[in-house]
Parts: sequence; C-alpha cells; structure tokens
Amino acid sequence: MSESRFASAFLLPGALWLLLLFVVPVGFVLALSFGYTDDLGEAFYGTRLDNYERVFDPAFVPVLLRSVGFALATVVLCLLIGYPVAYYIAIFGGRWKNVLIALVVLPFFVNYLIRTYAWIAMLGDDGLVNGVLNSDIRFLNTPWAVIGGLVYGFLVFMILPIFAALDRMDPSLIEAGKDLYGSPWQTFRNVTLPHTIQGVLAGSVLVFLPAVGDFVSASMLGGPEEVMVGNLIQQQFLASDNWPFGAALTSVMMLFLLVWMVLYLRAAAREAREAPA
Amino acid sequence: MSVDVARSPTTTRAEAPGAPSRPPKEFDRPRFLKLFTGVFFLFLFAPIVLVVLFSFNSSRSLQDFEGFSLRWYEQFFESESLRDSLIASIEIALITMLIATVLGTMLAYGLVRARTRWSDSFNVLMLIPLVTPEIVAGVSALLLFTQVGLELSVTTIVLAHITFSISYVTVVVRARLASLSLEVEEASMDLGATRWQTFRLVTLPALWPAVLAAGLLVFALSFDDFVLSFFTTGESPQPLPVRIWTQIRFGVRPTINAIGSFMLVVSVLSIGLALLIPRLFGRRESGLKVLLGREGA
Repeated sequence: MSESRFASAFLLPGALWLLLLFVVPVGFVLALSFGYTDDLGEAFYGTRLDNYERVFDPAFVPVLLRSVGFALATVVLCLLIGYPVAYYIAIFGGRWKNVLIALVVLPFFVNYLIRTYAWIAMLGDDGLVNGVLNSDIRFLNTPWAVIGGLVYGFLVFMILPIFAALDRMDPSLIEAGKDLYGSPWQTFRNVTLPHTIQGVLAGSVLVFLPAVGDFVSASMLGGPEEVMVGNLIQQQFLASDNWPFGAALTSVMMLFLLVWMVLYLRAAAREAREAPA
Repeated sequence: MSVDVARSPTTTRAEAPGAPSRPPKEFDRPRFLKLFTGVFFLFLFAPIVLVVLFSFNSSRSLQDFEGFSLRWYEQFFESESLRDSLIASIEIALITMLIATVLGTMLAYGLVRARTRWSDSFNVLMLIPLVTPEIVAGVSALLLFTQVGLELSVTTIVLAHITFSISYVTVVVRARLASLSLEVEEASMDLGATRWQTFRLVTLPALWPAVLAAGLLVFALSFDDFVLSFFTTGESPQPLPVRIWTQIRFGVRPTINAIGSFMLVVSVLSIGLALLIPRLFGRRESGLKVLLGREGA
C-alpha cells in the first residue's frame, strides 16, 4: 500500500459523513423548493415554480432586501470597530497580545441567546439603561437594535482575520512609511491597509454570511418591522408549516451567498497553498 | 511558530546593546486607539457581567441589585425538566466531541498526507460547513431526518452537531499536522515500522495537543449551539439553549440569568482548558494559535 493510498483511506469516513449529512440534505432542500403542499399542509416534491414566485412577491422582497441591508450595515460596523481594536492589539499589544485576543474570543463562547438576551435586559423599556437614566428611550424593536445584536454576535469573526493579517505584517513597514514622511493616514492607506486587505475581506465575508441568515437577533431585539429572511424560514419550517416555501427561501438565500462563499474559499485555498507547509 | 521569526527584527532591535530606545513618535502613542479598545472591551463584557451579577440577585428585578441569593440557581437545579435538559446538553456535547474528533482528525491526516486529484474537492467539502449559515444546515438536517423517517430526538441533534464539528476539528488538527516534518515519519518507517504503527506511535502522539484542544472546542460549540438544536430537537428532553429560547419568548426571567451563567462557566472552562493544553504538554506555543488553526501559518 502506498503512502498516499494509506492516507486516502483516512479521508473516507469524514468525507462520506459530510457528503451524506451535509451535501445530500442540501440537495433535499433544493428539490423540495419545487414542491407543493396539500390541503392538510403536508409537503410533496414536485416541479413547480410557485414557491419562487412567492419569494419574489412584493410582500417578501422587502424582507430579502432588509436582510442584505442589515447584514451589510453589520459588516461596516464590525469593520469600523474591529479594525482599530485588532490594530491596537496586534501592534501595541506587546506581551499582552495573546491575553487580549483571548479576551476578544472569550465572549464568543458565551451562548449567543444569552448574549442577545443580555441586551434586552440592558436596553429594554424597563431595562438597566432606562432605569439608570430614569428615561424611557425606546432602544428595542428598532433596526439599530437588530444590527447591534448582529454586530455583537459576529464581531469576533472580523477581528480575528484582521488581527492575523496585522500580526503577520512586519511592523518596520509602518515605520518605513513614516520615515518617508507619510502622515499616519497616508501610511495606513498606502502601507498597512494594502497589507491587511486579505484579512479585511475574509472578515467581511465571515460576518456577512451568518448575519444574512440570522433570526435570533431580529426576533429577540426587533419588532414586526425588522423581520429578516431567517425569521421567515424558521416560521415556515417550525410554525406555519409550509416547508416547500421555506425551502425556496433557503435556496434563494443559499444561491445568493454561494458567490461569497466561493470567493472566500478560493482565497483561503490560495493562502493555504502559499503558506509554507 | 514562524510568526515569532517574523517578529524577531523588532525584538532584536529593542534588545540590541547600546541601541537607545527611540522615543515613540506621535503615531506610536495611540492614546485614541487605547481608549477605543478600552471602550470596546467595556461594551463586550458589560452585558455578560450583568447577566452573571443579576443571576445572584435576591429579587426579580433586572435594574436593582437588592441582595445576594442563590434562589435562581435553586430554581434551575430543582426543576426536573431543566435538569433533564442540562443532562441532555452535556450528553450531546460529549458524544459530538468524541465522534467529531475521531472523524475530523482522520480527515485532517488524509487531507495533508494523501495526494489525490480529489484533494481540492475534499478540502472544499470540509470547509463549506464552516461558512454556511447555520439556518441552512438546520433546515437541511431537519429535511434529511424526516425524509429517512428518523424521529427527532437527542440522537438527531448529535448527528447534526457532528456534521459541523468535523470541520472545526480538521482545521485545528490540519494546522498542527502541516507543521510536523515528514522526515520523522519516514525515519520511523525506515526503522521498520508499518504505516499504521507510524501513525499510532509517531504521528498521533505529536498531534495530541491539537486533537484535545479541538475536542474541547467542539464540546463548547455543541454545548452552546442553538440554531441546529432548534431545528433538530424532539419534544423532550430539549437541550438547554432551546429551553432558554422558549423561556425568553415568555419575557425576561431571572432563572435565565442563572442558566446562562452556568452555561458560561461550562463553556469558559472547556475553552480555557483548550487554551492551556499545549502548556500541559510542556510546549511553549500559544494555545490560541493551536485553537485557531494558525500554527505554523
């Protein structure tokens, strides 16, 4: 048995598992999106396009656009918050660098529901902030509450790749930029940013993908005006029981996100090839 | 570890004898950045600290801390159904950890050592679950299980959890494997060991820190997972995050603070342990780098 054959045998169980429990089920979703339900609400496979027509019905288009809009706003905010933090930790963290990054990662392992719930407790009409300020500001059930929840939930995915890119960068490059009389802004724009753009792009995709599909933030921090596509999908499968329509919504979202996934995976594969083995 | 090499110019200059440490320029004194990062950490931890603090509150209020009490924890542990949920959650996380760690480690070994023309496809297959929104995975799993007539239960949750956990393990273990020199394995085989003996006696021991760290990571992720569990759970027992979701629908309750704080301790302990693992194995490398699959990268 050759070295390669021996190692190939190791690939099989995991690859088979992913094929049967991930790829095949996604195929089921695509197939069911052309299906229909009978009068009792039972789902059947079919070859109809009704569900897709319904997805692009004027009633649902705003939900799709809102999901993309919220996700984009989340990416921008994560970038504005995440870059400076990653920069500070990577360049000025010194011997605290690893501790600080661990502190960034830690909250990510607090259950997402609990973290979102904590914001209800803080920002609710009778929450802590209104209690302390003795005010009745309406924070919840607004678009910004939902976007804030998404930012809080996924920020770590932005900070880590940017931190990794900054950490790899030779800090003397920044000094060289300044020695050549570049202003801080010029140095950042012409030296630091181009060197870390891979991290920025990776982070943006890694935040965008889960944000588009999220339903926790919208259903906990938002009201009826902040419904996202994730909420619709979840309702179709677990409440109103129109599985084929839910499958069509899922398929449309998947196809839209596929572009970004492919771009990200290609960049990741290139990086893996270039990295010294 | 090559990261340290890349960083060395700074260190050497700073430590070079006689080289006066240059007074930092204006740009080097990032007072604004420092403040910004400080405020960031404040916002990052404030909600969590609040949840933990008010889990010990003696009153129902989420505004005033009236006194220390354990009544919400008592309520949590005295409720039989919540206790069942806790046990279910731990069970799910443990089984997921065991199976996903084995499959993911094998997959990593295959990906790094096998040179087939399918390598790129296997690599993509492994990475896709990591970038797929969880709701897609949840919907797919739900469809699969109803399609094959598997009743939704703890078992279906475990199956769904293993699927996304394999990729995490593979990423972490693969990074470690890629930083191992092939020569050690070749030497072992030159000395007469079979491939299997080499894997068991040479490769696997070198991989242990990464495998254990990946396992603990998977435990924490599975224990905390809500979306996949939500789509694949049966009637009872439901894992804790699903219970929290149902309770939150009924409004803000102090018991949720206690459940949340308890879960926090479990996750933080397993992640903390994962971070410490390389040290427990007497290595000086950063546990964080092992966990993020960035070793040697």
